[in-house]
Amino acid sequence: MATYRPASGEPVWVRRALILLVVALMGLLLALPLATVFIEALRKGAGAYLGALRHPDALDALRLTLFAAAIAVPFNLVFGVATAWALARFEFPGKSLVASAVDLPLWISPVVSGLLYVILCGAQGLLGPALSALGIRVIFTPFAIVLATIFVTIPYVARNVLPLMESLGRAEEEAALTLGARGFQVLWRVTLPKIQWGLLYGVILCTARAVGEFGAVSVVSGHIRGVTNTLPLHIEILYSEYQVQAAFAVATLLTLLALATLGVKAWVEWRQRLALAAVRRDFAEAP
Amino acid sequence: MSLEAFAVTKQFGAQRVLDQVGMRVASGELVALLGPSGSGKTTLLRILAGLESADSGEVHFHGTEVTGESAHVRRAGFVFQHYALFQHLSVFENIAFGLRVRPRRERPSEGEIRRRVMDLLGRVKLAEYHRYFPAQLSGGQRQRVALARALAVEPRVLLLDEPFGALDAQVRKELRRWLRAFHDSTRLTTLFVTHDQEEAFDLADRVVILRDGKVAQSGTPGEIRGAPADAFVADFLGINI
Amino acid sequence: MIRKTRPPLFPGLRVSLGITLTVLGFLVLIPLAALVLKSISGGWLHAWQTIIDPRLLASYRLSFGVAALAALFDGVIGGLAAWVITRYEFPGRRFLDALVDLPIALPTAVAGIALTALYAPNGWLGGPLLRWGIHAAYSPLGIFLALSFIGFPFVVRTLQPALQGLPKEYEEAAACLGAGRWSTIVRVVVPAVLPAWLTGIVLALGRGVGEYGSVVFIAGNLPFKTEIVPLLIVSKLEQYDDAGAAAVGTIMLFFSVIILAVFHRVSAWNRRRLGA
Repeated sequence: MATYRPASGEPVWVRRALILLVVALMGLLLALPLATVFIEALRKGAGAYLGALRHPDALDALRLTLFAAAIAVPFNLVFGVATAWALARFEFPGKSLVASAVDLPLWISPVVSGLLYVILCGAQGLLGPALSALGIRVIFTPFAIVLATIFVTIPYVARNVLPLMESLGRAEEEAALTLGARGFQVLWRVTLPKIQWGLLYGVILCTARAVGEFGAVSVVSGHIRGVTNTLPLHIEILYSEYQVQAAFAVATLLTLLALATLGVKAWVEWRQRLALAAVRRDFAEAP
Repeated sequence: MSLEAFAVTKQFGAQRVLDQVGMRVASGELVALLGPSGSGKTTLLRILAGLESADSGEVHFHGTEVTGESAHVRRAGFVFQHYALFQHLSVFENIAFGLRVRPRRERPSEGEIRRRVMDLLGRVKLAEYHRYFPAQLSGGQRQRVALARALAVEPRVLLLDEPFGALDAQVRKELRRWLRAFHDSTRLTTLFVTHDQEEAFDLADRVVILRDGKVAQSGTPGEIRGAPADAFVADFLGINI
Repeated sequence: MIRKTRPPLFPGLRVSLGITLTVLGFLVLIPLAALVLKSISGGWLHAWQTIIDPRLLASYRLSFGVAALAALFDGVIGGLAAWVITRYEFPGRRFLDALVDLPIALPTAVAGIALTALYAPNGWLGGPLLRWGIHAAYSPLGIFLALSFIGFPFVVRTLQPALQGLPKEYEEAAACLGAGRWSTIVRVVVPAVLPAWLTGIVLALGRGVGEYGSVVFIAGNLPFKTEIVPLLIVSKLEQYDDAGAAAVGTIMLFFSVIILAVFHRVSAWNRRRLGA
């Protein structure tokens, strides 16, 4: 029976060759750049590494990055849940247009995203004269960083929550309504617990993008050290000033965050699978 | 062309699904493999087709051992419970599939393929549907396309897994009569799996009853009805002894 | 006049849609309209001359050409990776699966400097490549490598569910009809997952065309040779040519919308298939 092989499988040597090929490709394409970050950062030893992280400019950049994320993420949490609720629960004219508009920031070049706000609020911009008459400056201020960050992260929570809300249906919400619950009570007590893992995942992706955004923020920031410099922009400045080791040292912070994101994603997917399996089991056992 | 299994044994983890199963379908016979769910009947059918490997035992087609041949060499005509029609191919191309994948030397010409597919479509009463896609057909129509597709490769044996399982009661009865008439005209050695004893006894020349991976009894419907081998068989048939 | 008022069937439409439309209106639609208006504020002629400037034409060619090549390359290696990760069981599979998302999670600036360090003439891969006479960094090849890195997860993540959802019986049916493993894959598996595969490639293309952070460091940014379109927008802004930047931005927006439309067509095809 040595010649036998199952219908839906390749010979063992083909499998092994393909696995090796993919491991090699992903190692070259993905793992090697990842390793480079840490190797370059520690090239001059732990002292230089910590020195780059403790530099006042790095700390200022870290502060602004966290500030922008602290506004953009809650903002998009509310926006994402509201949008998913509207799109999953209701039919209305122009619905597919709204869905496309939510996705749009993913398709627009980050540079164009930043450009949008320069054009709108900049000194030569459409609202520029009105804003400066009021004494308000937007472009080249932290406020512009926040705006650009919100824009590029608009799709993340909505996109991750919407399919989940659609697939879980609305039977439980309707049951809650017949029991006398009001809108927000239904959201808080029934819907959110059901979608918690997808929501968490959306928030994490949103955070990763908010913290790491480069193109859009770069266009609106003006690169003013201590005022409008975020961590990714700080990395760029260090790199272009040939402080390569310092640039990579700061980059390790963002890389560790990215790795944590991947870890949480794997964990959330595992939890979601468990939750879905439990739902299926309940249905199977139902009389 | 006969079909035989000798002492086929299959284990999934700790569970022995088939235990020393022996059975035979004589040339031109229509045999039902009957049993409750979990009795191992689908596994046996898959082992006969080469879709699953037996831990021990042998499978013979017309007296020749085929145990070591993989499914695409064995080319048993197999009709899946949910048909497994290729969604991206038209009805015509689904049926022509088995002819088109032959090595170049054995592949019929385009005209010959066309002739054979249209002939089969006529025999399953779907000649006008050759341009349709599977998603546009009803359950009974899909079932007949699946059968025509299996027959197009001129298989040595025909294996059907719960052929009427996914259909509603009315269509099921019609198709059952149609399949019997079809078999009478082709005389292709056929084994079909079912859990419905009425279907098995109504349709088959002989019935093999499987229980917990062992053959509980086999014989013509009359023989089994007349003398159930044990309480399980009698109970399964709804006969009080 | 008597108006029949129907009670809403489900609560929250006004609040949720209100939030959605307000945010989209102020943050997306008004800025987009402003961009398009600004692009023609210096007159149609200025806008036209800006977007057909030879230096820009060269950058369109580079951005689209390299992004398309990288997306196709991602189609091949992403297809292989999706197949191996969904179909085979091997030690480290979960780790590999998690690693796929790295380019999405890693900030583009970090990817940019890491890839540059790796492929620069003194880098681990750049050095050996240079000995073969291949300039990886500061050349179109560098842009290609960066865009391949960025687009990779999009192909894998759209193809994976399609491969998982493919019924095992499909391949078994093909085998019973006499198809060998290779012809089963070519004639049954590939056509069945083709819409999802194309969706992934289009996603990678859409992302690659506008990509900035991971490319600027490795590109070298030589006029006519390695200048991508987003970089030219930045340089127009630095020269205070807002109208010119807006014109180029509008062109990019236009292409984004076209790619988005293609994406919608392909994914609608995909859904029809899966729904059927």
